[in-house]
Amino acid sequence: MNPWDIYKKAFNAWENATATYMEQVLKSPLVLEPAGAWLSTLMKAKAKSDELAAGWWGGLGLPTKRDQERTLHKLNQLESKLLDLEERLAAQE
Amino acid sequence: MISLASLFGRPPPAVGQTPSDVVFAENKWRLLRYRPRSEGVAHATPVLLVPSLINRHYVLDLLPGKSFVEWFVARGHDVFCIDWGTPGDEDRYLTFDDVCDRYLGRAIERTRKVAGAPKAHVLGYCLGGTLAAIHASVHPERFASLTALAAPIGFHDGGLLSAWTRSKGFDVQAVVTATGNVPWQLMQSAFHLLRPTLTLSKAVHVADKLWDDELMNGFLALETWGSDNVSFPGACYQRYVDELYRKNALLAGTFTLSGQPARLEAITCPTLAVTFQHDNIVPPESAAVLLERISSEDKHRIHLPGGHVGAVVSKKAAQGLWPAIAKFWADRD
Repeated sequence: MNPWDIYKKAFNAWENATATYMEQVLKSPLVLEPAGAWLSTLMKAKAKSDELAAGWWGGLGLPTKRDQERTLHKLNQLESKLLDLEERLAAQE
Repeated sequence: MISLASLFGRPPPAVGQTPSDVVFAENKWRLLRYRPRSEGVAHATPVLLVPSLINRHYVLDLLPGKSFVEWFVARGHDVFCIDWGTPGDEDRYLTFDDVCDRYLGRAIERTRKVAGAPKAHVLGYCLGGTLAAIHASVHPERFASLTALAAPIGFHDGGLLSAWTRSKGFDVQAVVTATGNVPWQLMQSAFHLLRPTLTLSKAVHVADKLWDDELMNGFLALETWGSDNVSFPGACYQRYVDELYRKNALLAGTFTLSGQPARLEAITCPTLAVTFQHDNIVPPESAAVLLERISSEDKHRIHLPGGHVGAVVSKKAAQGLWPAIAKFWADRD
């Protein structure tokens, strides 16, 4: 067996053992709970900052990003409903 | 060393090359129809491929000579595929019902109409399989058959994704409120953590194959696809996690689609579930449970070695899995 094959065999053994160990660690509530809480705190902070920025923007009488998203979504919904109607009409013909 | 150096200057391989036409488009999603072979189609029932929402559809059409789609077109199937596209910021409000009922329903109906067939064979891959199974449980009359390819059905499976999404500390609503569409970077990080040593392992295993152009092209095409992810529409993601992962609502029989109960027992069409032994994204038991719950008498399982993606797009798949699926469809044409 050449040195590269020996290295690969050793690497595979290490990789398997490490991956199994990491899976146990990443599944552990001791890791999951604080990681989840950290992510949630980060997300809540971002939401709060977005809300403050939108409040300021809205105070100037300008449409916020959320307003624009809602409008675009309504337009997409309208398009979908028109397609629904077209299909129902076609089915009746 | 020269081969290794040449890797850096190498352009990414051209993916998704099988010729297709867009036969329908709505919001960001499109329905593609692959151009039939010159001799024409040999099967009466068209095939609709439903990929996952968070990955690009071209995983099923990776490279010429290594393409699931190309293989089936060459054997006379009329193949359609949904390209979910890239959600815009406004799609944070897109619901699970919009995607799974309205869009998927429309895709099946258009497939059927364009092909001039009463029903379609529907193949869903990964989350696409979950969507297809839910749709089939509410609209079974639209399906000539259902093929669930590594599709999660039972979500309390002991896998890492299940453990993370069900963790008490993970506040899905906070994520969706803050980000709108759940960023692909967040989801890709989670997938990397499923096996953190994988990148290193790939580097070691690819090192002695650098001179093999064909193999490297395949490897780079798959890496291109793996890094080309799509964000998950926010409202849709929230329901996916809350009801499917946390409440396991599909198996509990409490899931609804546009207000109608989505019970797996209502699926009566011929069904094929494909599971993979080393799939760490969708553990085999999570996908196989579909067959235990449906009422179809004509139901089959193919269980193969390999992982979630490799086993679907590898050379081996072209010799084993693809012909098995082709036979399943041909026998029920």
